[in-house]
Amino acid sequence: MSTSASVIFSQLLHCFQINCTIFFVTLLLALPLGLVVSFGSMSRFAPLAWLVKTFVWIIRGTPLMLQIIVIFYGPGLLWDGDLMPRITAVCVAFVINYACYFSEIFRGGIQSIPRGQYEAGQVLGMTKPQIFFRVTLLQVVKRVIPPLGNEFMTLIKDTSLANVIATKEIIMMSKEFTTKGLIWPLFSTALFFLAFVGILTLAFGWFERKMDYFRV
Amino acid sequence: MTQKRLFSLLMAGMLSVSLLAGCGGSSDSSADASADAAQNTADTAADASASAADSDLAYVLGNGKMKIGYTVYEPMNYTDANGEFTGFDTEFAEAVCEKLGVAPEFVEINWDTKVVELDAKSIDCIWNGMTITDDLKQNIAISDPYVKNMQVAVIKSANADKYTDVASLASASLVAEAGSAGQSVIEDEANGLSGASLTTVTKQTDALLEVASGASDAAILDWTLAKSMIGEGTDFADLVMIDGLELSVEEYGIGFRKDSDLCDKVNEIMGELIADGTLPALADKYGLGLAE
Repeated sequence: MSTSASVIFSQLLHCFQINCTIFFVTLLLALPLGLVVSFGSMSRFAPLAWLVKTFVWIIRGTPLMLQIIVIFYGPGLLWDGDLMPRITAVCVAFVINYACYFSEIFRGGIQSIPRGQYEAGQVLGMTKPQIFFRVTLLQVVKRVIPPLGNEFMTLIKDTSLANVIATKEIIMMSKEFTTKGLIWPLFSTALFFLAFVGILTLAFGWFERKMDYFRV
Repeated sequence: MTQKRLFSLLMAGMLSVSLLAGCGGSSDSSADASADAAQNTADTAADASASAADSDLAYVLGNGKMKIGYTVYEPMNYTDANGEFTGFDTEFAEAVCEKLGVAPEFVEINWDTKVVELDAKSIDCIWNGMTITDDLKQNIAISDPYVKNMQVAVIKSANADKYTDVASLASASLVAEAGSAGQSVIEDEANGLSGASLTTVTKQTDALLEVASGASDAAILDWTLAKSMIGEGTDFADLVMIDGLELSVEEYGIGFRKDSDLCDKVNEIMGELIADGTLPALADKYGLGLAE
């Protein structure tokens, strides 16, 4: 029984939706969480800052693949707990992992804003949240776009790690064809990632131009 | 200033040490626990049925479903041309679940992490043409073998007295399909057939033709194939298998959590399915040979 190329592509596309789901869920949750984590690591309350920094160190210091395995199998192996659905476990691992990376990007962006702007805000009688949201934030957004673009592109490719706990994303699907003796589907998955990253590149280019109206 | 920094470093160090210790400790204790459990069952087989709280069977019945770990593997578990999930193991598992009164839930897994899946309870059994090995037996409970495959020697019935064992075949002319398991068996010196002259052909059926025509003395091929191709009612009615000659035997079993009483229950149901003819019919349908 030979499977036609169009059938194979539609199956690959179907499984690529899993990669896209992980991508968008991770962005949606990790970006705000990353901002919270970055505040934690910049906290003036030293124990909190160190706790957050240690956490970031652990997450950035261990492979994402291992984190996915621990989050999915961990509850069942360690305390006989209930397991989450596979896709949920993958998303949890990705959100935590990427929030830590994002937090460092945000920290860099926030700390790069000249101190004088805070002082000027204080002189004008603004509260700290007012200074952050009205003065700092938009400048931070502009500065963190290029490094975030890098992370976004890494993220879509990292989503294939989901297959380590048998989440059927595009690479796992294509390997199934390999066991049937078809090798080209595995390599053709590159097209999906290339197309996705191509769109991302255009989007980031457009967004950077949009942000050009104010210069920092 | 330096004191503050030192304190912070210490805190971070302590945190990481406690984290590491935590992980190490728990894995140690679970390893001990499973070793103890293994010891206990070895000592007293009667204790294996444990209390209701430990009963894997009760756990699965309580869930109302059995989570069956599989990988896509024809003819065991696969999607057919009509897009329907089927296969020998698929139908077999469905039949067992029906008798057990639970719904089968097929969960696709990575073969490499099948035992982890089992221990984490993301699946309740591994049911995917799993070859029983000693390594696996140490770590999981395995059902009675249900499917068997091996390499057998097919000869002319007229030669049944001449060729009775490996030793008598050692100087015979053998035939096997090129690249088949049969060829590996002949070439593996451990089997004692490497001294025989070997002809390789392109099809397993060609190997039978060689023997039927007298060009070769014996063909080494898959038992399942030999069973369906030779004997009465076939084109190779005058060919027979050498009785009791079994090479590179492989048996398939269903994997369960260590010491699981679910394993015993499935064995019991398997016996019923063999007795009522369900399993033999499935084996015929998928061209497999049941283990006795």
